[in-house]
Amino acid sequence: MQDRPTAPELLDAMAAQLFTEVREWVPRERRFQILVLANLCSVIARELRAGEAPSLEDTRLFVDLLGEEGGADPRGAAELLARRIRAGELDERLDRTIDRLRDHARRKLEIARPGYADAGPGGGS
Amino acid sequence: MTAEAPDVSRVREVLAEVGEDPGELELAPIEGGASRQTFVVEAGGEPRFVLRREPAEGMSFASLALELRAIAAADLAGVPVARTVAAEPAGGRFGDGAGYLMEFVAGTSVAPRVLRRDELTTARERLPAQLASALAQVHSVAADEVEGLAGGSDPALAACELWERALDEIGEPLPGVEAGLRWLRLNAPPAAPATLVHGDFRLGNLIVDEHGLAAVIDWELCHAGDPVEDLAWLTIRSWRFGNDDLPVAGVGEIEPFLAAYEAAGGTRPEPERLRWWEAMGNVKWAVICARQAHDHLTGARPSAELASLGRRICEPEWDLLQLLSESA
Repeated sequence: MQDRPTAPELLDAMAAQLFTEVREWVPRERRFQILVLANLCSVIARELRAGEAPSLEDTRLFVDLLGEEGGADPRGAAELLARRIRAGELDERLDRTIDRLRDHARRKLEIARPGYADAGPGGGS
Repeated sequence: MTAEAPDVSRVREVLAEVGEDPGELELAPIEGGASRQTFVVEAGGEPRFVLRREPAEGMSFASLALELRAIAAADLAGVPVARTVAAEPAGGRFGDGAGYLMEFVAGTSVAPRVLRRDELTTARERLPAQLASALAQVHSVAADEVEGLAGGSDPALAACELWERALDEIGEPLPGVEAGLRWLRLNAPPAAPATLVHGDFRLGNLIVDEHGLAAVIDWELCHAGDPVEDLAWLTIRSWRFGNDDLPVAGVGEIEPFLAAYEAAGGTRPEPERLRWWEAMGNVKWAVICARQAHDHLTGARPSAELASLGRRICEPEWDLLQLLSESA
């Protein structure tokens, strides 16, 4: 066990300092790069806090869409699903597949860009 | 990664040959497109020209020459452009990569500045109609008026194939994007008469000053295709930079924009066709994000900024799936 701050707390501290103080030290035309780094710290902190749950939910979703053929590995299941979709094997339930894959995209957004799925046109559904 | 700047005296020699010798020159590098190096050519402290150069292994001179022909055709059709002054092949007087000199046009192509700066308030009011009119002029150029313009006879299916192939090259599984692409393939609109298409028409590739649109730049993705591709690309959510309720580049509503496009001679797109290309635009942006992250991961272009784009794939992926769920 490491002493506190925890990893997400350290990343929060880094993001805060980059967003405020470090940004001011950098020439205006380069500030975007500091914002990118600060934002990445926030993304990693959210990912660490969320733990394994989103990945497990994605695996369950992919396996379900495949009809129980995927393994426990989310990447393997995603690859198989992508291949099957491309080959047209899910064409008969493509609308439902699209609808359900929104949950996968939403889970990624909750880590990478919270609020995006609810803020946009047609969001919140 | 900074390659050697072009030799100032040879740039001046090229300018002198076309009767534009401005005297003593200075070259100032600026942050331009993702791949091209861009320099402002200054004389007497004033910006006079812009020099853009491909990386050494970049676009061939033939492709660059084609791009310059498209710019000239667009200029003739009335599109505000930065006129080409001279071009040099790779290994020529601009250095390793092929490059060209164009007129300097004052203004900004940084989208968030266009959307937020106080001094650009009037510009923002004028932009929707100006963008519509510029696009109508681009699309008034028939595909066969620009010699060598590439593009299939079926732009919609060609786009499906292009982005499927790009996904295969990247090798990252993106089932959401695949599902969108599959839907698009099954619902592709029939081919319309092909016109010149800019291929990347958004605020980042336009120069805007306090009067509005000053020039349409960055024509490297121009091709023969469906004009609706340009209209739709301009409206994808990523190019609104947070102004989500203003679909046209974060500055305008869709209906007045389409009316202005029609008034300027464009053909009003059928709603299904517009939505199809908007969904395809989201596929395109998702795959480009994946490719940029891939360039970081393979070590081809190590950069935290490119790496971060891997985690932005889900934005256009969400917008894509959302659009298609509404169409079902």
